[in-house]
Amino acid sequence: MPASPSPEQPSGRLTLEGLALDHRDADGKPFRLFELPLLTIEPGSCIGISGPSGCGKSSLLHLIAGLLRPSQGRVLWSDRAVSDLSESGRDRWRRETIGFVFQDFHLIPELDIAANVALPACFSAWNLSAAEKERAAALARRMGLPDPRRRAALLSRGEQQRVAIARALFTRPALILADEPTASLDTGHAAEVADLLLETAMESGATLICATHDPALLARFGQRLDLSHAPQRRAA
Amino acid sequence: MNPFPMVLADLRALRWTAPAIVLLVALAIATGVAIAAQERALRRGSAAAADDFDLIIGAPGSQTQLLMSTVYVQPDALPLVDGRLLNTLFKDERVAQVAPIAFGDVSRGYPIVGTTAAFAGRWDRIKPSEGRLFAAEGEAVLGADVLYRMSDTITPSHGVAGRVAAPGQTDAEEDSHKHEGHGYTVVGRLPRLGSPWDRAILVPIESVWEIHGLGNGHASEETKGDSPFWKQGPAAGSSPAGAEERIGLPFDGKRVPGVPAIVVKPKSVAGAYQLRAQYRQGGTMAFFPAEVLVSLYGALGNIRDILVVASALNTVLILASVLLLLLAVAGLRRRRYAVLRALGAPRSYVMLVVWLGQVTLMTLGCLLGLGLGALATQAVSGLVAQRTGLLLSPAIGLEELLPALGLALIGSLFALVPAALAYRQQVVAGLRG
Repeated sequence: MPASPSPEQPSGRLTLEGLALDHRDADGKPFRLFELPLLTIEPGSCIGISGPSGCGKSSLLHLIAGLLRPSQGRVLWSDRAVSDLSESGRDRWRRETIGFVFQDFHLIPELDIAANVALPACFSAWNLSAAEKERAAALARRMGLPDPRRRAALLSRGEQQRVAIARALFTRPALILADEPTASLDTGHAAEVADLLLETAMESGATLICATHDPALLARFGQRLDLSHAPQRRAA
Repeated sequence: MNPFPMVLADLRALRWTAPAIVLLVALAIATGVAIAAQERALRRGSAAAADDFDLIIGAPGSQTQLLMSTVYVQPDALPLVDGRLLNTLFKDERVAQVAPIAFGDVSRGYPIVGTTAAFAGRWDRIKPSEGRLFAAEGEAVLGADVLYRMSDTITPSHGVAGRVAAPGQTDAEEDSHKHEGHGYTVVGRLPRLGSPWDRAILVPIESVWEIHGLGNGHASEETKGDSPFWKQGPAAGSSPAGAEERIGLPFDGKRVPGVPAIVVKPKSVAGAYQLRAQYRQGGTMAFFPAEVLVSLYGALGNIRDILVVASALNTVLILASVLLLLLAVAGLRRRRYAVLRALGAPRSYVMLVVWLGQVTLMTLGCLLGLGLGALATQAVSGLVAQRTGLLLSPAIGLEELLPALGLALIGSLFALVPAALAYRQQVVAGLRG
């Protein structure tokens, strides 16, 4: 039962134009974390990003989300240079375009499932519309959480990540970013969550970019980007 | 945007700390409010109690003592002034009204005050709520709070200076000083005045004099010889009611016994000052209660100032510690707010959430503090009324509201600091936590 197939979903093409990110090491010496060639990600595709810890998987997601600015290159969304927008412009673009799933779920434990799922709505509107309430409940059901009034603090880890996926889907994002979505879960829950993430991303027609070092999850992506071969640790 | 779901979640995340913060702020506010309101109420109440006492004349001594004895009925051993002065004042054309105040006896802990019926009715200002004013020797009118009933007989005991018995109770000390064979019959009760006079028993001054073997100050006494009222009884006199049985001013006897205090109501302000000047010499003292009250208030005011400064410091300290606590809490929530940003919340949303959370705590604290302050003021007023009979009507006025509002405002301004820090926070650093 597809919760909400959204034919009206605006999709966009993500282009990473010669992205590079510099960091400083413990001694304060700058080094290049990664450098990517021109990458174009078509709407609706699913990409897994792999690589050892510290290779910049999370940073790449943060760059795409506009939480970081690249040291070189640009992030383009449907030919619009997102990385050149102002901070509030990127906030707005992120709110309209992106759904984020974190390794540690980051739910608001004091709120119930429905309020957590619908949380992104309070960033822009005062009241939830009836349709939005119904959507939050429907997403929770889709994630196998029949009681949307349960407090997030009382949920198991697997349940929490399912709520987080519902939250990421709530605003009908065209781009879903998942940062190690299964790393905090035991194997059984991890498989469940991976299924849900891929299925719902597919149903919604959104592009899914998922950073993970979980081989089982990685194997399910048709396209993979391995950051471990990126030129690294080279003095900038 | 609607920050309130997050604000409520943040407050719930504080658990018991949130009510504790509210309570701390409230206690700080309540202390200041109670001190200020109570002091003002005490001033008003004590000044109102002195309303009918325009000018007080007594024998030279302590003005404060005389004031406390006459206005606040805290009887003390006082030197007497010549009773003939009453007649002089009665005839003085600058004087509208004059009355003696004599005390010394107690009954069940209530002071028995000898005066004139005219003063008992405060010169026609008040009517008895029950019965009538005394019209003959041996009759008594009760203050509103005196626990005797109509027609009861009151046996006076000789009071001991400086001894304070709980009102309404006879103690051994009082028992041992009973004026045996003497008694007053209750004929009326006065309405509540909100002053210590509510627990006084008012009797004709002639009776007080007679009980102490001083005669009654009237000519009738001399013609009739020594047959005091309690032997005759008010109704027992076979002679027609008239000059013989008359009580009150003027006292036409050859001997008029002394009184501790005389209350004068002058006709004019100029007359009042003349009388005051005149009776400040020649073996008497005269003063306006306001003079003494002003110096008492001066002392009271100094104490209040100290208390107000202390409570203000107290408030500032509590405010500072609460703000530090909230700053620390906001620091601990960096990750939570970074997540909001990653989910698309604008910086202003996070700032508003942090700020509103703290403002909510401060404002609730200030409001609760005003309420607690009002309660504390009422409680203290109740204690004061119980101990002195002085009715205080404390009100929380602008003077109390303003500091509370000011504190809420300052707190809100200070809350901008953690809010601004949250505004500037780097999302990625916060996500790494």
